[in-house]
Amino acid sequence: MSTNPRPVAVVATSLTPAYTAFEGPEAALVMTCVNELLESTGLRREELEFTIAGSCDYLGGTPFSFVMNLEGVGAWPPVYESHVEMDGAWALSEAWLRLQCGDVDTALVVGSGRASSGRPREVFALQTDPYTMAPLGADPVSLAGLQARALLDSGKATEADFAAAAARALPATSGVSIEELLKADYWCDPLRAHDVAAPADGAAALILVAGDRARELPGEPVWLTGMDHRIESHHLGLRDLTDSPSARLAAKGAGAHDGPVDIAELMVVHSPEETILRTALGLGGETVINPSGGPLAGNPVMATGLARVVEVVRRIAAGEARRGLAHASSGPCLQQNLVAVLEGEH
Amino acid sequence: MPQPGTGLPPMRTVLEYPYTRTTGPVMGAFLTGIRDGRLLGGRIGERVVCPPLEYEPGTGAPAGLDLVDLGPGGTVSSWTWVREPTATHPFRHPFAFALIVPDGASSGFPHVVDAGSPERMSTGMRVTARFKEQRRGSITDLWFVPEEDGARAAPPVEGGDPVTLAEQPVSLTYVEPYHPHRVRFLNGLLEGVITGQRSPVTGKVYVPGRGYDHLERTLMTEEHDVAVSGRGSVSSFTEITPVQYHGQKETEPYIRASILLDGSDSPITGVDIRTIPLSEFRVGLRLRAVWRPAGERDVSAFDNRSTGGWEGVIERWEPTGEPDADSRALEEHAF
Repeated sequence: MSTNPRPVAVVATSLTPAYTAFEGPEAALVMTCVNELLESTGLRREELEFTIAGSCDYLGGTPFSFVMNLEGVGAWPPVYESHVEMDGAWALSEAWLRLQCGDVDTALVVGSGRASSGRPREVFALQTDPYTMAPLGADPVSLAGLQARALLDSGKATEADFAAAAARALPATSGVSIEELLKADYWCDPLRAHDVAAPADGAAALILVAGDRARELPGEPVWLTGMDHRIESHHLGLRDLTDSPSARLAAKGAGAHDGPVDIAELMVVHSPEETILRTALGLGGETVINPSGGPLAGNPVMATGLARVVEVVRRIAAGEARRGLAHASSGPCLQQNLVAVLEGEH
Repeated sequence: MPQPGTGLPPMRTVLEYPYTRTTGPVMGAFLTGIRDGRLLGGRIGERVVCPPLEYEPGTGAPAGLDLVDLGPGGTVSSWTWVREPTATHPFRHPFAFALIVPDGASSGFPHVVDAGSPERMSTGMRVTARFKEQRRGSITDLWFVPEEDGARAAPPVEGGDPVTLAEQPVSLTYVEPYHPHRVRFLNGLLEGVITGQRSPVTGKVYVPGRGYDHLERTLMTEEHDVAVSGRGSVSSFTEITPVQYHGQKETEPYIRASILLDGSDSPITGVDIRTIPLSEFRVGLRLRAVWRPAGERDVSAFDNRSTGGWEGVIERWEPTGEPDADSRALEEHAF
């Protein structure tokens, strides 16, 4: 990546609730976000020069649902559109690269999903190696259980650490202690149900604007100063499951350590991942981790990673932090990791 | 169980795809080994990796085909106890997923251990492979058990050609309530009424309603519902000659049409026509719905997505005998 990327800012964000089961179509989730973004910026839809979404047709079981989701953006006039069959955070990555080309100044980025209709464990097992893993139904929760066990065996974490990460995602008013969480039954030993983010329905979206144009719009622009994503082998036996070299590389590539990190939103879908990511991303005590509660508090599948970006942007725009890191992951056991670094105007 | 307050059961969709993939030389050799009751690894430099890889994991350079017999014993390097197996797991009862380092290999691979209870599982435990009697060269042709349950030679499989294809039938089930606008539309059909939605922005009537105006980006609710006519004009059609594929039920050619119902601005699509000859069918032809008797209407073929399923409530469409509609005015209503 160029060391001098074109300045790009997030000028508006939108996030639906994480619904246990949203009663309407996925396009309505997208539409709600798009309308909110246009209203808050005063931009017309025609002024968004590039549109990109991240979603998964298999998740809701609707072939070409990514096309139907465009109805939420407005079916006419046609949009200059792209799509990734990944979390919306990867759509953000492509949009950021697209703006680096210089001929386009504005981009709409969306992530959306309806997890409630299907069985996400069975769906995402199909993302694994089709010869040696998918036929076994190797699902993300079971594989996260292998990662959790490896962490315990290595001495890098305890079950109490897992419970502590899960407890932080609970509302402060819940009054549930780590000790109480540890009394719960195992689900995928050593994981308990509260260690696994429940799949939800929802959408996240934002508008990216390049250069000085970002300052002409209402509100504080939050600058996306760096972004990188890296992937590891699909062969679990060749990975050290207690570490995340890809997350470490992505943080370095995004320039995460070029300044203090006040807040970090990490895509911790299984509580043991927090321990791995804190270490790999080099986050110390000065960084507030997952002030939103993180995915364990709300996991709108295919939007969860982009929602991390939204949460960081909102806190910077509100003056609660000056510089923050947003992380997203994809694939079993944190196989692929994305890091975005965001900074306030002042 | 019916969706509360709707009288309709939740919609259920099963997506099934029979995937067939070529294996390539390395994975083909591995799967052929399994078919023959052998567990093979691939030597890459100093390491032996199972399953074998086509390339050096660090550099991506071709690894060559240097196969090594492994197992049947192995050591568990990590495990998890699956208390609630999914529909695509190999066992219906609780079992372990484990990383297993087969004897002779340098690293592990994920597979399953049928141990009966989590108390019998531990990191470092010894396991041994068991092979099914009937094997076709799939990773699911074997599983592991604790070594104390006894080693057992793979039942012999008679000869056979090298495995070059991997077949994986995929079946995914989805269950969801009908969307609120869809409930009103379907209950209307059961009563012999076709319900659309009128955009509060443009006044255009869409059939069926989507719960939003996709041109104006406006959400729509029950207050935007309108009944439209059971008469309309053919705006587009095609003759379908069924191609045989997994799940295909049709054998004879038939017409699939779009019909612009009177009082609406978008055609209903995916309407099957089986009682009007192709030679008499044309854009502009005026048709009317002949409803099935009230007690015989079935909306189960409608889901939240497609517009097919009309044949469950409308027995057939028959020409009204009116003069044809202006086909040029129908051009923008092809879909």
